[in-house]
Amino acid sequence: MSADAPSPLPDDLAVASLALARRFSAGATMWCAAPQWPAHGRHVAVEFVHPVIVGKRALPAVHVDSVDLVRVTRQLARPGDVLLTIGAADDDRLQALLRRADAWGLTSLWLGAGPRPAPGQADHVLWAEEAEPVTAARSGELVMLYHLLWELTHVVFEHPGLLEPPPACTDEVCITCSDEGRVAEVAAVGDGRCVEVVTAGHLETVDVSLVDRVAPGDLVLVHAGVAIGRIDEESRP
Amino acid sequence: MTDEPTGFLYPFIEAEERDAPALLADLAASARGKIADSEALRATTVQRSGATLRAAGEAMAHRFRHGGRLFTFGNGGSATDAEGTAELFRAPPAGRTLPALSLVDDLAVLTALANDVGYELVFSRQLIAHGRAGDIAIGFSTSGNSPNLVRAFEEADRRGLLTVGFAGYDGGAMARCDAVHHCLVARSDSVHRVQETQDALVLALWSVVHESLDGELDAEVVT
Repeated sequence: MSADAPSPLPDDLAVASLALARRFSAGATMWCAAPQWPAHGRHVAVEFVHPVIVGKRALPAVHVDSVDLVRVTRQLARPGDVLLTIGAADDDRLQALLRRADAWGLTSLWLGAGPRPAPGQADHVLWAEEAEPVTAARSGELVMLYHLLWELTHVVFEHPGLLEPPPACTDEVCITCSDEGRVAEVAAVGDGRCVEVVTAGHLETVDVSLVDRVAPGDLVLVHAGVAIGRIDEESRP
Repeated sequence: MTDEPTGFLYPFIEAEERDAPALLADLAASARGKIADSEALRATTVQRSGATLRAAGEAMAHRFRHGGRLFTFGNGGSATDAEGTAELFRAPPAGRTLPALSLVDDLAVLTALANDVGYELVFSRQLIAHGRAGDIAIGFSTSGNSPNLVRAFEEADRRGLLTVGFAGYDGGAMARCDAVHHCLVARSDSVHRVQETQDALVLALWSVVHESLDGELDAEVVT
């Protein structure tokens, strides 16, 4: 980022906080993964569960501490929940989780420092771009990101009229029947050409005759009941 | 104005507000102000604490050179600072690794002590088991008043450990406690800004320790 360009962080925090408050208001749990810096994952959990300001509501946030983050998060998270990942843009453990967020029906937030992730990898990216990546974890920058997320989320709770999600899409084009493909994770395979996948948090049976043999955990792109492509993962979780 | 406990932090946000774009603009403005506050407090505190950081860091380096080990502790968010600090010394992004252990890591030990002898003693009892003269104890408290930290510092001091305390607000009991040899205070009444500043202080302290160790090493090579 050039020195004279204003940081996108304040606006990103505002939008993410509104989205997070809406998810919590609808009953979501926030699942936190921070394999590089697990202390920050635990800090996020205690921040939301046990607010520093008396009278603020306790919100369900859980630090997922596992060598198999994908398996554990898949088991625990429910559609409509929130996935918060903390770590560098090149952390493939986080990428493996974030690639599945849409399939699992999760809203995703990614917090980190240094070089920013490529666009589209998470619904919300809160990034300390100016920070030195190697020391950001303990410079106060990273902890500031989730402190502000917490503070602003609780401000949104003071505006009950804004906690309702925006009205559902009423456009002519609907995502389930448009040309757009949806990310799906293979849940179970049988003998035939149809497999069960999870997409947008729901089980669905799709035809996989257009793609190579798939296994549970594989990601495919689904359109109109057909898997039209496979999503390659450079490093399998 | 809102009656919420955080109302004083957001005087310009009306509780009756129903306009999402207006709220987003207010949230972003609030974030900008808080980011500026955090950065300013971190910078001024590290600068103001220069002498204490230097003295504490050099004393720590001396102990590390003679086989000393670091023990860290704290409660809640400060427990994660203790964990992160031990990690920074034990597995730094660059430079030599140093022996450091967080006393919040073992849930069996923590819950056994809390259940059997009381929460006030969860850190001091661990220091009785592990601490030796020549070791180092670092504790984090945003208020500076946590009873189990004060007890741990007293025990550490009795056993000949070097003690470094990180506090907030006006330093609380830790700033007035003789058992805390070096006390670093983030002077703010926001728990969040205190923790952010304590992180910056830890990083600065870690840097002094490494500069000091490198300096001693150079001195030995020369002589």
